[in-house]
Amino acid sequence: MIFDPSGAQRMAIPDCVPKRADEASREACRTVTEVLRADLKFEGLFRFVPAELMSAIKALDPEHPDFTDWRGIGATYLVTLTAVANGPELQVEAKVYTPESGQTILSRRYSGKGDNPRTYAHQASDEIVALTGFRGVARTKIAFVSDRDAPAKGRALKELYVMDYDGFNPRRVTVNRSINILPNWNPDGRSLSYVSYRQGQPDVYVASIYEGRSANLTNGRGQSFAPSFSPDGKRIAYSSNRGGNMDIWVANADGSGARRLTDSAGLDTAPTWSPTGQEIAFTSDRGGTPQIYVMDSEGLNVRRLTTVGNWNDAPSWNPSKQYSEVAYTSRIEGGFEIAVIDLASRQVRQVTLGRGSCEYPSWAPSGRHLVFACGRGRSWQIAVADRLGQSVQTLTGGSNKNEQPDWGP
Amino acid sequence: MKTRLLFAPLLLAALAACGGHHRPPVVTGGGAGGPSATATGRDGSAAPLPSDSGPDVQPVDNDMARGEDFTVSDPETGEGGPLEDVRFEYDQSTLTDAARTLLDHHAAWLKAHAGAKVMVEGHCDERGTVEYNLALGDRRARAAREYLVSLGVDGNQLRTTSYGKERPLDTASNEEAWARNRRAHFAVSK
Repeated sequence: MIFDPSGAQRMAIPDCVPKRADEASREACRTVTEVLRADLKFEGLFRFVPAELMSAIKALDPEHPDFTDWRGIGATYLVTLTAVANGPELQVEAKVYTPESGQTILSRRYSGKGDNPRTYAHQASDEIVALTGFRGVARTKIAFVSDRDAPAKGRALKELYVMDYDGFNPRRVTVNRSINILPNWNPDGRSLSYVSYRQGQPDVYVASIYEGRSANLTNGRGQSFAPSFSPDGKRIAYSSNRGGNMDIWVANADGSGARRLTDSAGLDTAPTWSPTGQEIAFTSDRGGTPQIYVMDSEGLNVRRLTTVGNWNDAPSWNPSKQYSEVAYTSRIEGGFEIAVIDLASRQVRQVTLGRGSCEYPSWAPSGRHLVFACGRGRSWQIAVADRLGQSVQTLTGGSNKNEQPDWGP
Repeated sequence: MKTRLLFAPLLLAALAACGGHHRPPVVTGGGAGGPSATATGRDGSAAPLPSDSGPDVQPVDNDMARGEDFTVSDPETGEGGPLEDVRFEYDQSTLTDAARTLLDHHAAWLKAHAGAKVMVEGHCDERGTVEYNLALGDRRARAAREYLVSLGVDGNQLRTTSYGKERPLDTASNEEAWARNRRAHFAVSK
């Protein structure tokens, strides 16, 4: 499939056809249709044939579509779905046709447990997006911090959670009833680095989230914050005051071999790696106000990146080599907003506006979307937007503080 | 908080003096149980004073001055304690004159309680980013610690940590709450 940025191409996603008339099969079909449409719409790569046109032609036979009909309503691509539930098992088939030529360009049968039909749609979405040469994000997860399980009164508790990229299926990761913050995914998608106060002092931990294990990497050697895995997952950068002042340190992924990368009198924190792993952006107030700086991953060749505004912090380097840009949090007219700076032109674009205070941007692995947290007072919610700040969707709700999102694999 | 807890022993003594018909109120927050029991026992066994000679009054053990014998703090929040919070200006870690005056008192207390170990916690208001506030809290805690050490406090008594804006004293979003949250807190253990 060739992605057509002119927008002339149209994708048709008619309703999934249940292979049996039982309620479980029909329910799974409804979910798969709804989720696949939402996933593909979110990617922002396609335009769609309107539902009114699809209902104007005869019902779809998923095995033998009448391509003449689909051509007639302007479908460049036709996505068909079928589903059947067999007790606890679910089987979903997805196909992509080009009605113009009558060719099948994707054909997949997914079988497995039926308790979460959404995952079938997410899988299909990512495979359809892959046809364009882009990376889909429907199977990705977002880690975040919430006080949703803290008691109404008493000590502030913050725990880590992960949820699907669309906000569904939130699950708690830490259960230590302490303060757990600043999650950052290992690029393998199986573990999270974070900061926990469970032993009183802020230390960097790594949790293997599917095994339910965690390890303390810094063990009370100074205070440590803001861990960030390198793109190959072999190293971890973080900020620490163990040398007497808050500086950027780097260690092996198991915490061994820690060494200092910066040595300024200012506060250096919030490291983020370039997609190649050869550079690190970070925040420093060495020039008087917090600003974003860039250095090579050995700590040399430090240069200031941001020059506009008096508070720029929390950089997140776009992981796609296609886009050379860094998102960050910027104080703009008294509030905080998400901004993106282009590394070549140094042009800055503001991504958020009018959502209260926004901070903590993190890129989707595709580099085409951002997640961040916005709020006022006690209510903070996680939101996503495309890299230009359009199509903002809020993923969490309630009157809790849901914050510090990190978009993982 | 501090005022209410210090007042509790007086209230209990007054109730006990009314003949013991009233059950003592439940005092939350901890630390006030001991003094109330003492007051009841002492009142109940008081003997009549001799009428002809000697002083009119005898010195009474001053419960109010005994605050330094125990630490009043809220076990739920970790707040309170013998050493009052030191406040900071917005986005600043330099000590104000008021902060230095308070720390002068803290230094005297710490020298008098050489066995006390103190975790100096740096806190920030909610404005600004998570990461920067964690670093700023660290700088505040260390500014307070360094000043205490310069006054002769044993550095081994003092450790520092930073909570940034993660553990505010007051969760409201206004100038008053922000001012209360920009602080160094002194968590004392013996």
